[in-house]
Amino acid sequence: MTVTRIMSNYFNRNGFGLGIFLLVAVVFWVVILIVLPQISMLDFSFRHHLPPPEMGGPKDTYTLEHYKYLVLGAPGADTSYNVVDLTVFARTLLAAFFVTILDLILCYPLAYYLGQSRGGGMTRILVLLLIIPYWINEILRAFAFRIIFGDSGVINEVMLAMGLISDPIDFIRANVALYAGLGYAYILLMIFPIYNVIESLDRNQIEAARDMGAPWWRIHWRVVIPYAKPGISSGCTMVFMLSAGALAAPQILGGPSSLWFTQIIYQWFNTGGNWPRGAAFAIVLLVTCIVIVLSLMRLFKVRIGDIGK
Amino acid sequence: MSKGVDVNLENVWIKFGDFVAVRDANVDIKGGEFFSFLGPSGCGKTTILRAVSGFLEPSDGTVRIGGKDMAGIGPNKRPTALIFQNLALFPLMKVWENITFSLEVKGVSKADRRKRADELLDMIALPDQGDKLPSELSGGQKQRVAIARALCAEPDVLLLDEPLSALDLKLRQHMRTELREIQQRVGITFIYITHDQGEALTMSDNVAVMRAGVVDQIANGHSIYNDPATPFVASFVGENNVFRGKIKSIEGEMALINTNRSGELLARIATAARGKLKVGDPAMMFIRPEACNIAADTAPAPNRLTAMVKHEEFEGQIYNVFLEGAEGKEIKMSLVNIGQHRQSAEGDNLTLEYVPDQAVVLPVGELASE
Amino acid sequence: MKAENFLLKFILIAYLVVFFGYLLGPLIVMSITAFNSPAFPKMAPWECLTFEWFDVLARDQRILSGIQNSVIVGIGTVFLSVIMGLAGALVLTQIWPKLRATYYTIVIAPILIPGVVLGISTLVFWDRINIMLGFSSGSFLHNGIFLTILGQSTFIASYCMLVFIARLQRFDTGLTEAALDLGATNVQAFRKILLPFMKPAIGSAAVLAFLASFENYNTTTFTFGKFPTLTIELAQKVRYGINPSISSLAFIIIVLTVVGALVHEIYRRRQQLALANGAPVAAVTGGFQLPKFFRGNPAAVILVLMALGGFSTIWFAQVYNPTECKVDVREQKRLIQGERIKAIRQKQLEQQQQKLLKGPDVFGGSKTQPPAAAGDVPQSPGKGAFGNVFDPGNLDKTAPQATPEKPVQSPGKGAFGNVFDPKNLDKASPQGN
Repeated sequence: MTVTRIMSNYFNRNGFGLGIFLLVAVVFWVVILIVLPQISMLDFSFRHHLPPPEMGGPKDTYTLEHYKYLVLGAPGADTSYNVVDLTVFARTLLAAFFVTILDLILCYPLAYYLGQSRGGGMTRILVLLLIIPYWINEILRAFAFRIIFGDSGVINEVMLAMGLISDPIDFIRANVALYAGLGYAYILLMIFPIYNVIESLDRNQIEAARDMGAPWWRIHWRVVIPYAKPGISSGCTMVFMLSAGALAAPQILGGPSSLWFTQIIYQWFNTGGNWPRGAAFAIVLLVTCIVIVLSLMRLFKVRIGDIGK
Repeated sequence: MSKGVDVNLENVWIKFGDFVAVRDANVDIKGGEFFSFLGPSGCGKTTILRAVSGFLEPSDGTVRIGGKDMAGIGPNKRPTALIFQNLALFPLMKVWENITFSLEVKGVSKADRRKRADELLDMIALPDQGDKLPSELSGGQKQRVAIARALCAEPDVLLLDEPLSALDLKLRQHMRTELREIQQRVGITFIYITHDQGEALTMSDNVAVMRAGVVDQIANGHSIYNDPATPFVASFVGENNVFRGKIKSIEGEMALINTNRSGELLARIATAARGKLKVGDPAMMFIRPEACNIAADTAPAPNRLTAMVKHEEFEGQIYNVFLEGAEGKEIKMSLVNIGQHRQSAEGDNLTLEYVPDQAVVLPVGELASE
Repeated sequence: MKAENFLLKFILIAYLVVFFGYLLGPLIVMSITAFNSPAFPKMAPWECLTFEWFDVLARDQRILSGIQNSVIVGIGTVFLSVIMGLAGALVLTQIWPKLRATYYTIVIAPILIPGVVLGISTLVFWDRINIMLGFSSGSFLHNGIFLTILGQSTFIASYCMLVFIARLQRFDTGLTEAALDLGATNVQAFRKILLPFMKPAIGSAAVLAFLASFENYNTTTFTFGKFPTLTIELAQKVRYGINPSISSLAFIIIVLTVVGALVHEIYRRRQQLALANGAPVAAVTGGFQLPKFFRGNPAAVILVLMALGGFSTIWFAQVYNPTECKVDVREQKRLIQGERIKAIRQKQLEQQQQKLLKGPDVFGGSKTQPPAAAGDVPQSPGKGAFGNVFDPGNLDKTAPQATPEKPVQSPGKGAFGNVFDPKNLDKASPQGN
């Protein structure tokens, strides 16, 4: 099959006008919106930080300075590594991992329950209740957690009133609010992939296992979880990537001492004004996340095609 | 309504990559004919239909409709209408909109379309059902709507891809008659695809039997059944007892076969095999179960064989008797139930006889696998 | 055995309660704070029922223009994402099998790429295009709305595509062939067969895209330029100081969401009912038999109850005046505060200092302004600082020209209220964050 043959088949099938329209839309999306900006950002991250007039000039050469900066810190700093940024980076990934596990533990039982209780008014209402919080602005959701966990938030006020504590507990500084808020933000992305898979699991399989005398945990371990693996990994991938890349929740709920890596990127772009460095940091975040997700997927033998089902 | 036009396939090859779906098909279908392609699934009959309707282009060869080469003409420009296996009624359109879709795309006004729809609904005996959705109709009703929709396009050739396969037995038999009636009324060419020989034989003027991309035989139903051109046709259409052996002697149309296990048997040489078989050639001989009978005279003869009854099935209008001949040769005999038949017991030894003219001899070839 | 079942059931219920408590609790708490009078949104201790935060919200120009920008961006994003998502899904069904996996990975990737990265790459890419084309820095390629729509559409189109793929999987391609066979052109077959089939999916993709666009922060924060969307405005407010007018906005969004969800549910229910009865949908929609309709439809009951509750709340808001309660609370607080001041002299000094430092109220309370200042807000001419705040007009932003006269509305009261403004006492708390 040659390219011309493929194209003529394509236009035969879709007609000329529609064929062109589809091609233009997809090429615009894939090339102009997805691929080129990423390449452009990658390229940009290897450039010097220059004022606009000097861009494209003789000084505009490729450099590794921004990547070096992330690892080694500013030239002439007293530490040999950029401890601050690297620590934030590691903590961000660790925290994202933690949030992912938290969501998985929290969501698996409900996804299983919803998936196995076929239809019914109760299920519909539960699903509706699940979706409603996600129609409410991300910022407002984070705001709600600030109301709850703030110094004069609901929890502190109630505990003070009950005499349980004498001084407000600083949940914000302890990152409790941040984890709760992040976990909250991605519940839906964990539940629905798992729910979708478990819904298609033949109930007879579970009954057969039960019939053979398997205890409930073994049924889950041997029957349900292996079957739901694509959904679980799909949910975990999304939650991990999105919480590692979260910006709103850390900005609103993060304590003064706990930066998120995305906040550092944000600072380079806004207050720092060093775009290439921000781009380099963004590339590092993106590549690291992809590597982690791909290696986990390989470990659990899941394909990329299962994502988003 | 337009009179049917001829459809001709000339040396048509259709390939998908390395796979040859249709091999050198030459088929001439006369205008106004009810023509069937009969074959097991995967034999290439649907592929041929798609080549006629224009959904795919032959890799080689020519498809002519009304004498005109159809190369490069898309399905929407051909004078054909196709009735799909699953009917493909548009689920979101009302019945009348479905029927007159071909007019809608031509820009016919709504009032005219509605009028035409009502005429066609009357024709298929579904008056006042026009405002329903297809999902609200029964299987047989959907079937008729699909026919009406295809006829509304006023095609010169109507193509039907196993349209009855989803119906239950009674309805299927009823629809056979109805389809045949419609075809005779509108007078256009019908090309019908089926794996059900009953459908092909009852409705068609002519049948093409296909095997693995090859057209084995084109003839009317009577010839297909009584005078098969290949062992495949003989074994695929209806049932047959197969005897392998060598030709011992030939006398006019008749040949004496020295079968491997059942002695010497006499049979007629099939028309397609005349002049191709010589004495000493390996051959296959076919005797239909209903051609066999219990012989009153047990003396050996070239149209008699002996066998032992294994078991018997009662099917209503016939008894099927399963027998075992010499060296374990399996033989089936069908006897018409005329009330007086004595049930044979297992282990009875019987002598069977047949009219040699009803048995055919063919060169060795592939059989239809059950 | 029985006891075990009972235990399991108990655990299940407890789990569901905890789960949905986590899920809905924050929303409920936030909604309640919208009606509590302290300037920092809190649920406990309860002080006075008030509707003033809705009034504050309705007068917040930045929020209003943020909503406007969000709607413009949302419409643009819906348009672009739905088209690209649909095209992407259609191409996926036809693409050469060997390319399919690669293609799918590329178009699904924007969902997984952090929003921050998408925002940055969009910004960097178009900035370079701008420089390459030699446009000035004020060209449309630098326009916040343009960039935000592109940045958001990059990943929202992927969401839309997933919706379309799910629908397309149930499409019988035989239908398109049937249409072609009946003489339709490719475009006619697309328009008359595939598009109507995709219509529900297009609808849900559009809703999904709009909601995703409306709430997006990570990408927009890099691209918005001079056109901050509602989310950006909210983030700024939340980061630099909170007041319950944000709660009131959340409350409005929550109510709209719940109503939307219920309407959708009722619609679905009715369609299901129609299908179950085997009657055409039109027959059921036509015969709106109330009692029977309600029996199988808890969503409808809730909706009607909500409507009743909403109307009575609005009526109540028109006649209710929280001033007296506030004065009481303030008096009480003043006493407590006085005691504290006596007890800890140091703290009193600090408090004084903070009051001085704080200066004008940063929590956006127009309430602290003299009543005359309220006049410069066009939506509510002649409205006092207190009372009549829960005007239905403020809710749907249609800015009614005729506000009913309220007897409770007295400038004197407003001025009086200011003297004892709880905010002046409460200020220490938000600063603690």
